[in-house]
Amino acid sequence: MVLEATMICIDNSEWMRNGDYNPSRFQAQADAVNLICGAKTQSNPENTVGILTMAGKGVRVLTTPTCDLAKILACMHGLDIGGDLNIAAGIQIAQLALKHRQNKNQRQRIIVFAGSPVKYDKKVLELIGRKLKKNSVALDIVDFGEDDDGKPEKLEALLAAVNNNESSHIVHVPAGPNALSDVLISSPIFTGDGEGGSGFAAAAAAAAASGGEYDFGVDPNIDPELALALRVSMEEERARQEAAAKRAAEESGRQEKGEEPASTSQDAAMTDRVNVTSDEATERVSDLMDDDTALVEEAISILMNSSCSGPTMVDADMLEATNEDQELAMALQMSMEDRTKDSSSQSDISSVLGDQSFVSSILASLPGVDPNDPSVKDLLASLQGHSEEKKNEDNPPSDEK
Amino acid sequence: MACLHDHSCEDHDCSSDWSLYKHIDTSKVSALNEAIPGSVRSVFKAWEQRLNSSGELLESNEGDPELLIFIPFTSDVKIKSISIIGGADGTSPSKMRAFINRDGIDFSDAQSMQAIQEWDLVENLQGVLEYQTRYSKFQSVASITLHIPDNFGGDTTQIQYIGLKGEATQLKRDAVTNIVYELMPNPSDHKTRAETGGGFSHVE
Repeated sequence: MVLEATMICIDNSEWMRNGDYNPSRFQAQADAVNLICGAKTQSNPENTVGILTMAGKGVRVLTTPTCDLAKILACMHGLDIGGDLNIAAGIQIAQLALKHRQNKNQRQRIIVFAGSPVKYDKKVLELIGRKLKKNSVALDIVDFGEDDDGKPEKLEALLAAVNNNESSHIVHVPAGPNALSDVLISSPIFTGDGEGGSGFAAAAAAAAASGGEYDFGVDPNIDPELALALRVSMEEERARQEAAAKRAAEESGRQEKGEEPASTSQDAAMTDRVNVTSDEATERVSDLMDDDTALVEEAISILMNSSCSGPTMVDADMLEATNEDQELAMALQMSMEDRTKDSSSQSDISSVLGDQSFVSSILASLPGVDPNDPSVKDLLASLQGHSEEKKNEDNPPSDEK
Repeated sequence: MACLHDHSCEDHDCSSDWSLYKHIDTSKVSALNEAIPGSVRSVFKAWEQRLNSSGELLESNEGDPELLIFIPFTSDVKIKSISIIGGADGTSPSKMRAFINRDGIDFSDAQSMQAIQEWDLVENLQGVLEYQTRYSKFQSVASITLHIPDNFGGDTTQIQYIGLKGEATQLKRDAVTNIVYELMPNPSDHKTRAETGGGFSHVE
């Protein structure tokens, strides 16, 4: 939160037309300038920023140091590219502009964007640097664009002459995929002014630099609900996979063929409960599947009810389920018990999965339905729950008969 | 240490005369062209400690003997005389120029402006010399800026102690010391006449 008056010296020489920085050197520079202005004014409300251009017909001061961010951004429009960079005059005029700042309590800082070759020799630059140091003006240098031999050394010499107690910095930005602004955000030019500037910088950095690194391509800072929903469904899918593996191991270990239908009917019985819970837990995910639900529901019900078409496994299952009433009753009881348990447990979802693998075989015969589509699987699970419920309601009455 | 005053030190405690350092606003003291930022604060101390440098002194940058010291006070003071102790080997200041009640002076201003008073200094390592001011001009001083343009040939200028003799009044020069910012206007601060129950316009 240092109280500071800053003059930003922009390079608008012919060398800025080059496109090795995306979209062009000048545009990348303009973006960086906008970011810096925002950061400075945000870190302390009394900070002032001014802008001048160093090339063109001559050094031109666009705004003297002001706190008005809108004015600063407005004067960045309509800048012409042309001429040659005059870095010495630019820095000296920036120093003069800072000298006449309104609030003498502000520290003085100059930020120079050096994109084109520097034609002054080291001695002149060192002299300028010493004068800045004597008047306690800090200098930040952004070395980008043209990289002729001697330019980095000259700028380093200038920095060494100015640097007083690490208050001045230099950043060399090579051409490449990273935007100029992104490189600057992580540099001491942004973070060097301490705790205050880093709030803005951190937010900008989080948004810009790590946008592509999130699991789902969604930045939690920008859209927390969507990110949360995606993460929840991802976790559930993972849980289902684990439970499916567990179930498969259990089933193969513990069950004979005879128990198989019972367990699957258990699964079926439990799916209706699961359907309820999964609806609660994954509202958004099931919403996506609503459109498909009706179609698949019909198909499944047809399959279930007709005994002539469809895989034998289904028929066998239903026959055996009706035969083994005791097991069915037990299954129903268990499902009633489980209903009272915590609904969002893994076992619910695992039973859905268990069903899925079974139902997908049913679906294999259905045209146009991909049994491996997880959304379809979920639908089927819920559907089977519905149809099994209907079937279960039918069965006890038939038992009583 | 001998005083060059025309009295013996046992009767009169010199240190109380040089007590203006207590009225200096130390947090706002600044110097330009100092090698170590903040070292300027170490030169303002009590008279008894003026020779006790303990390593800290104000030094200018290499190869550049100029110094500019800005001294604000907590209240208006009257300055009678100034004492300054430099360093050895030609690092003592040779000239001193003073500016009153101006802040934000830098070297180009100092070189072009007319000083309130200028002194030619001699090497004064014992701190027994004082330089008197034109007292009438130093009556209500809120801040004084000392410009040292040159030294006795050394590479840098070193200053060990600066003493100010005078009187402190309790008056303050700046009226506004506290500023409150409003991000948004508070409607209760801006009651219109209608809200306050109406009023009749006056013609006087």
